[in-house]
Amino acid sequence: MKKIVLSLSIIILTAFAIQSCDKIEQNDDGTYTVYSGAVGEWINGNGVADKSQRALLEKYTGLRCNNCPKADTVIATATAQYNGLLIPVSIHDSSFSFCRPWTFSTPTGNEWSHYFGTFGQYPQAIVNRSLSGSSFDRFDPTSGITSHVDPLVQQSAKVAIAADAACANNTINVTVNLEFVETVAEPLTLTICIIEDNLVATQLQPDGHTWDSNYVHNHIFRDVVTDMWGADIDCSGTAGEKRMAVFSTNKINPDWKLENCHIVAFVSYKESRDILNVVECEIE
Amino acid sequence: MKKHLKLLFVATIIIFMKGQGSSVKAQGIMGGHVTGNVQLDGQFSSRDSIIGATDVPEKMLSNVRADILYTNGNFSAGLRYEAYLNPMLGFDPSSKFKGQGIANYFVSYKTQNFTVTAGHFYEQFGNGMTLRAYEDRYLGIDNALRGVNVMYRPFRGITFKGVLGQQRYFWETRGLVRGVDGEVNLNDLITSWNESKTRLTLGGSFVSKYEDDETILSDMPGYKLQLPKNVGAASVRMDLAHGGFGLQAEYARKGQDPWLDNGYIYKPGEALWLSASYSQKGLSANIQAKRVDNMGFKSVRSVNERQMLYINYIPSITKQHTYAFLSMYPYGTQTTGEMGVQGDFIYKFKKESLLGGKYGTDIHLNASLITGLDTTLVGGKGTDGYTSSFFGTGETYYGDVSLEIAKKLSSKVKLSATYGYVLFNPVVEGHPGDIHHNHVLVADLTWKINRKNVLRFEAEWMGSDSKYSELVDDKRCGDWIMGLVEYNFTSAWFVSVSDQYAYNDGVGNYYNVSVGYTKGATRLQLGYGKQREGIICIGGVCRNVPASNGLTFSLTTSF
Repeated sequence: MKKIVLSLSIIILTAFAIQSCDKIEQNDDGTYTVYSGAVGEWINGNGVADKSQRALLEKYTGLRCNNCPKADTVIATATAQYNGLLIPVSIHDSSFSFCRPWTFSTPTGNEWSHYFGTFGQYPQAIVNRSLSGSSFDRFDPTSGITSHVDPLVQQSAKVAIAADAACANNTINVTVNLEFVETVAEPLTLTICIIEDNLVATQLQPDGHTWDSNYVHNHIFRDVVTDMWGADIDCSGTAGEKRMAVFSTNKINPDWKLENCHIVAFVSYKESRDILNVVECEIE
Repeated sequence: MKKHLKLLFVATIIIFMKGQGSSVKAQGIMGGHVTGNVQLDGQFSSRDSIIGATDVPEKMLSNVRADILYTNGNFSAGLRYEAYLNPMLGFDPSSKFKGQGIANYFVSYKTQNFTVTAGHFYEQFGNGMTLRAYEDRYLGIDNALRGVNVMYRPFRGITFKGVLGQQRYFWETRGLVRGVDGEVNLNDLITSWNESKTRLTLGGSFVSKYEDDETILSDMPGYKLQLPKNVGAASVRMDLAHGGFGLQAEYARKGQDPWLDNGYIYKPGEALWLSASYSQKGLSANIQAKRVDNMGFKSVRSVNERQMLYINYIPSITKQHTYAFLSMYPYGTQTTGEMGVQGDFIYKFKKESLLGGKYGTDIHLNASLITGLDTTLVGGKGTDGYTSSFFGTGETYYGDVSLEIAKKLSSKVKLSATYGYVLFNPVVEGHPGDIHHNHVLVADLTWKINRKNVLRFEAEWMGSDSKYSELVDDKRCGDWIMGLVEYNFTSAWFVSVSDQYAYNDGVGNYYNVSVGYTKGATRLQLGYGKQREGIICIGGVCRNVPASNGLTFSLTTSF
């Protein structure tokens, strides 16, 4: 009986050992990869561990905007206070003379500025491109901004977002993962921005006549990796769905210091432009 | 579901106890016995900018654990409560241990030839190169498997083991691990070999993990990795002994296993470990060698926590130094690739001999050298990664030589003197820099005043070619001196005072005062002082130790 048990044990163990290993065949080019989709093509992803709801604060500004340094102080304090849940971006507009010189302005920034209607006076801010009635909820960020941010970050995220970015061979590749926490039926888009910190340039100060030529500008919007209104997200939008895509750009301006740049990516409703969630990541 | 299982388990034990008349007596419960132990460690730390200690917002941090084991004949059951409220510095860099709960529970039935355990268990096959589920509370590691563990001896001399389970990951379990191990002791199995002076044991194991597919993008845009869902590792081993001679060997090999630490490459892994030894009265000699090539084996391929979810363990072949400066640069095993050799020699000069003197003299010589592999890059993520020459060596990672001479000077005084040399390449800790060369001298004198009073003095010096710089911020750099006085009195109390000071090219003055009291199985220890940031390694497995400044306490008891 014992010999039978022993023989059976050996047979079972050998079979287990043989059957319990997968072998992936090597491709002719020496890789073990398979086609997953072109750049910008959405495929099934691994999900997003951090399901935080964050808010994007877009500050529309200019170098001649004398109250903008005050806004920078308020935003810096709030960003620290929200501990990663508030992501600021500074967008310079060249449309109006009081914004000259146009050092950091971009065509995309100008287009956004027009679209969101921040014409009258600067600085102006908008959080998650939220609507107030039929127009966008713009406000002066030199005063408190928590009343605009709190309602957004205190709700649970409908879509969780994560991003990784790396630069190689003069190309920035951004990998974005989405996980639907709740079902979202409407069409969505993904917008990816390149943001730069620690830019030293002149800035008019709050007294209205002093120019600080060593002013440090942070969170400066440089360009988009996607279309300015985002790339369509190929998804069903049902709760639990996990999608991912890679986006690339080789339009890297030599004036940018990539070590000071990072990526901001956000998901928004295609029709209303309202942002569902946002994330930022370093460029490795 | 997990909570329900734990509650069911605890309830079963309570009902089991109470159902027998609630008779909890000193000799046990319903014929069985309850044993256990409790350990409470805590610390207060405040800011010290010189050594890099930061304020602890909670003021007090603590790690608590209590093990309870019930044994009744062949049956045993146990559980462990753990609490990290909040975890002590260095134990939880990813903030996943924070909390409390029943971390471990099991029931087990054991006879002479058969053991089955359900719940959490620890197990090791051979040297652990294919499977070692273990825990080390000082490293904050617990790779316990939760599932079923079976051991069966169909004949005398033959042992089979089988495991099936998921690994502990902080307060969860992850992965799926299956493994079998067989071992044959030929001397027990073959009657005519029973009394042979030559003893031979052969063994082999196979371990497999299963993990579902995930999307890991290749470096080439538009492509992703084809991942193996089942990854296996196998090993063969032998243990040969003849008189005082011994020879042990184990060779392990692992299939394609792209994972985070190896950069998602597909090169099969392998590891070879050899050990030869000789011992006789007053003398022992041992030489060990190993070669490790891409042999890290985790149950989850994409997990950041460095030491969590390892299925296997690569034996360390560097000496576990105990003196402070010799252990300042411990070597952590590089599972991605290393080669090494170690020699260890112990000799006792007899009493009344020329070098032995009246009480004899002990010498202990140890040396080790670890290098990287000689590799040629063939690609990045999603390829075989590199090729390696089996006998070729790469850059030097670590080397040390130590000679300890211990001699009893009188019936009450014993002196131990040690010289050590340590070569350390910071690349093994993941940061660049010049190789450090350290020379260490230690004098350790113990004076047994009487049966209840013992005084110990320790003096250490370390000269190093490393210099502290803010850029690298390695606070171990520089030349150091250290003094320690320890007094054990009334067999129950001890007090010790020590100071480590970087007197040249370094930073920091690390003083410590400790008081301890032991009564029966209970020990209480209080300490106050500064802890230098660094790394501790046990068996080649390491954890970071951040700087701290303040009070520490520890209470342990068993029953």
